[in-house]
Amino acid sequence: MAGELIGNILSLIMLVGLGIAGVIAVLVWKKNRASRVTFLRFVIQAVGLAAFFFLFSLEPAIPLLYVLIAWFAVTLFLGRFFCGWVCPFAFIMDIENLLRKALKIRYRLLPDKLNLALHKGRYLIITVFLLFPLILWIFNPPPDTATAIMMARLLAGPFRPYSLIIDPLVPFVVPWTGQLILGNINFSYPYVANITSLIQATPGQIFAIAFVATTLIGAFLVRRIWCRFCPAGVSIAALNKFKAFKGVPLLYIEKDEAKCTKCGVCKRVCPVQVNDVYDQKGGKIKTSQCMLCARCVELCPYEDTLKINLGNKPVFKSRNWLEPSIINEERKIE
Amino acid sequence: MSKNQTVEQRYLPEIQRKEIDELKTTVKGASQKIIADNIARMKKADSHRPDTMKYFDDIANLFGRRQQEIEAEKQKGKKIIGYLCLFAPTELISAADAIPVRVNSGWYDTSKLGDRVVPVEVCPVIRSTIGAKMIELSPFLEQSDALISVLTCDGMTKLSEILSDQKTIWGMNVPRVKDSTQSLRFWSAEIKHMKTQIETFTGNKITRNSLKEAITTSHRATKAFRRLQELRKGNPVIMGQDAMLVNQAYSWDDKKRWTEKTEALCNELEKRVQQKDWVCSPDTPRVMLTGTPMFWPDSWKLPALVEEGNPKGIIVADEQCSGERILNDPIGVDEWSMDDMLNAISERYLMASTCPCFTSKDGNEDRINWLLNKVKEWNIQGVIYYVLRGCMLYAMEYNRVKKALDKINVPVYYLDTEYTREDVGQLKTRVEAFMELLNARIDF
Amino acid sequence: MITLGIDLGTQRIKTLVLKDGTIASKAQAFAGFDPAKAAKQTVNDALNTAGLTLPDINHITATGAAMDLAPHANSTISMMGADAKAGVFLIPQARTIIDIGAEEARAVKCDERGLMMEFVVNERCAAGAGAFIEAMARALEMKLEDMGPLSLQAERASSINASCVIFGESDVVSLIHRQESKPEIARAVFDAMADRVCSMVHRLGVNPEVVLVGGVAKDPGFVASLNRKLGLQVQIPPYPDYAGALGAALTAAMRAKGAAK
Repeated sequence: MAGELIGNILSLIMLVGLGIAGVIAVLVWKKNRASRVTFLRFVIQAVGLAAFFFLFSLEPAIPLLYVLIAWFAVTLFLGRFFCGWVCPFAFIMDIENLLRKALKIRYRLLPDKLNLALHKGRYLIITVFLLFPLILWIFNPPPDTATAIMMARLLAGPFRPYSLIIDPLVPFVVPWTGQLILGNINFSYPYVANITSLIQATPGQIFAIAFVATTLIGAFLVRRIWCRFCPAGVSIAALNKFKAFKGVPLLYIEKDEAKCTKCGVCKRVCPVQVNDVYDQKGGKIKTSQCMLCARCVELCPYEDTLKINLGNKPVFKSRNWLEPSIINEERKIE
Repeated sequence: MSKNQTVEQRYLPEIQRKEIDELKTTVKGASQKIIADNIARMKKADSHRPDTMKYFDDIANLFGRRQQEIEAEKQKGKKIIGYLCLFAPTELISAADAIPVRVNSGWYDTSKLGDRVVPVEVCPVIRSTIGAKMIELSPFLEQSDALISVLTCDGMTKLSEILSDQKTIWGMNVPRVKDSTQSLRFWSAEIKHMKTQIETFTGNKITRNSLKEAITTSHRATKAFRRLQELRKGNPVIMGQDAMLVNQAYSWDDKKRWTEKTEALCNELEKRVQQKDWVCSPDTPRVMLTGTPMFWPDSWKLPALVEEGNPKGIIVADEQCSGERILNDPIGVDEWSMDDMLNAISERYLMASTCPCFTSKDGNEDRINWLLNKVKEWNIQGVIYYVLRGCMLYAMEYNRVKKALDKINVPVYYLDTEYTREDVGQLKTRVEAFMELLNARIDF
Repeated sequence: MITLGIDLGTQRIKTLVLKDGTIASKAQAFAGFDPAKAAKQTVNDALNTAGLTLPDINHITATGAAMDLAPHANSTISMMGADAKAGVFLIPQARTIIDIGAEEARAVKCDERGLMMEFVVNERCAAGAGAFIEAMARALEMKLEDMGPLSLQAERASSINASCVIFGESDVVSLIHRQESKPEIARAVFDAMADRVCSMVHRLGVNPEVVLVGGVAKDPGFVASLNRKLGLQVQIPPYPDYAGALGAALTAAMRAKGAAK
């Protein structure tokens, strides 16, 4: 079968790519302190991509359920860490970003107001995406799949719309204009699959193409454009907003007011234009705009000014990336 | 010089060539003497100074080696671009294959001459620079083909006007509220404009690669600089005045050589740390200087008094635009595109600065934070707030600084002076009393 | 234990011998052109009065502007440190000590042990110090000693500017031209000076127990002005002009004790 062949080739490419990414990362790690974390992130993203690829190659219903449960549990602790470090779609955008850098084209910024409007408008977007397929389903109910368990049915069958929360994981290949289903895997751009499969008509295809084109070109010019209003991001951030989860050790960025010189580096390097890290005087950065990609922490030139904390323990701190005297560690006077 | 005679002098008095030459000879003699004296005092204060300091002593002679080097480069056709304030983007100058050099002068004798042009109430940095120009004393000021003047305070604004008779001056407007997007936008535009000006003037285009090279050079310098400051965090291994001289030498030395030598100095100091070879007793009160810039050589009276007094202190940190602020902040480049590099430069020079010319809805709190952090990290036991009479901005900020330091129970002493050499006796009394106070606090 | 303190002031040199916590003798002389010689003279005088010789002294501490010139001195202490010591020794509850000498005015904040916590010195010009009164007395053609009592007779206050001795003098001259009375001008002089001292003290934060020492403390006119400006009664110990020397002698005692241990 042509589809299976493509699937096999893809998995091979995936493995080879992963290996290369690992080697590059090791090389770069040694070379430059100011971009180590970025490369670590690339490796994790590549691993994430592969993991999702193989996960989704399996029988869809049940693993999808487990993924969903596991993911819910993890996001409780890690928040939008997933967006910054694992999301395959973000990986695509990051690669686009690399391509842009290689072509020496400068990135564009969205006006702060628009950025914030998009951030807040995510709720509207998610509502549309949730309701749209549901409405279509009401008009055209699919046949019952009695064999699957309840939750799986919920996700794969009649309640297909709800799986949209994890749909951004799906597009680990270059999006196609239509649907690409190999075996039971739906190789499609997020949400496009839902729409086109349910509409099954030209307007849907046009919509899909337009959507894909705008996000791809957009991500080429504006860093991580999709992340700014990603509905999946909403679901993650929304979970963390519940007070009930306050006792849970969360992953967050913390800023030390006294050490900050407000040099503005954190503001400029942020791929999703979060201003809070700069504007907020100190303490915990709460905004759900932040995807914890740690670029700001990586490039902050002052020791311990920005920290990524898990619970109350720092996992990664900003440091003088110019590498100061090593001798100092031993001799801080008491 | 022919240019000077044809241009009408709108600001500077007409002085006969003969008088200029006479004054220049005497003042130059006095300046050389004070430079030599300062170095001798520094040698005396620390009997086994690091060997690398010899290099910096050599560079500290403003009429010596560095002057000749710049002259040689100038003969080869390189442009020399001077700057009067730390805000000037030196990376752009280097990237255009010109030599950046700071031209503020620190001579007492020339400040007296400056009194002929501006009132005595004006800060001595301004008066001294004017005086130096009047008698063509400062080698770097004379050699520079153009000057970047950043209009941070009233003195600087009018100083650039006064010098405009004789030099090409590029003024740069600094927004006084730095924490807003529109300020940054404005300042970025100034930086970009400065880039075009430098390009046109030197005839060299600033390319992506040349700018990257210049930024990397500064990064290396910052790395060496920070290494040195980290070494001052622990028990003292270097006299404060020596370290201050090293820091300040950056503003006229060759950047790459300076980095090399500073790294060498750090290697030497690290060895001393391992041998526990302290430059003075570890109980010596640890002092930080803050306030107006101290320009070599005449301002060195204060650090010398602190470190050779009885009782004495050791200067382990400062917050001055003639000292640690020169190199403390690296240029945080995200991606090496022209656009991002220029943005990074704009931010580095504007936002990271703790100059008292800034304010915000919380006042100049960046400076307070810097000071508090330094006190904590460098284990500072006392702060000397140094104000050159005439610097309103620093003088007016004292109260807030004092309150902030009182809160963490660190004594601060407000010390106002001028470039004069005559008030050393009075300064000595005050500095020693302050050191006594610090010592008493340590003992109990 | 016998210790000796020498205060080498800008105008006068004061020496004081301290014997087991009580003042045994004291002497003073004009500094003149050779402060070292004058200091030696006062040391001899003080020793003679007390009936002691130099070897009897355990420790000698010098203070004052010319302390480095002091003869026989074992150690030195800053004037502010000496003031704090002496102030608290003389008046135990004192926490702010104002010392006004000929050329310099100082305010010292200290703790109950007589350790200085903070100090302020008048800025370069002697307008806040004794020399100012002297110059003004000259302008008014009167003796320095008469000026204080005279100023107390004034009913209202004129004002002059005390930012500089020279300008202060020209202010006085213009008051003379306006035909203000002598007492009023004298009071204006003290008020102006007290203003300067007052702002210095306020920079430290005023504690209720303020002690005034130094030569100027002997001038009733200035004390009245200062009380008025500060809004409290400053305390003046006996022999305020010997405070520096006393502080030095006390420090010497402390240091000698420290060395004996």
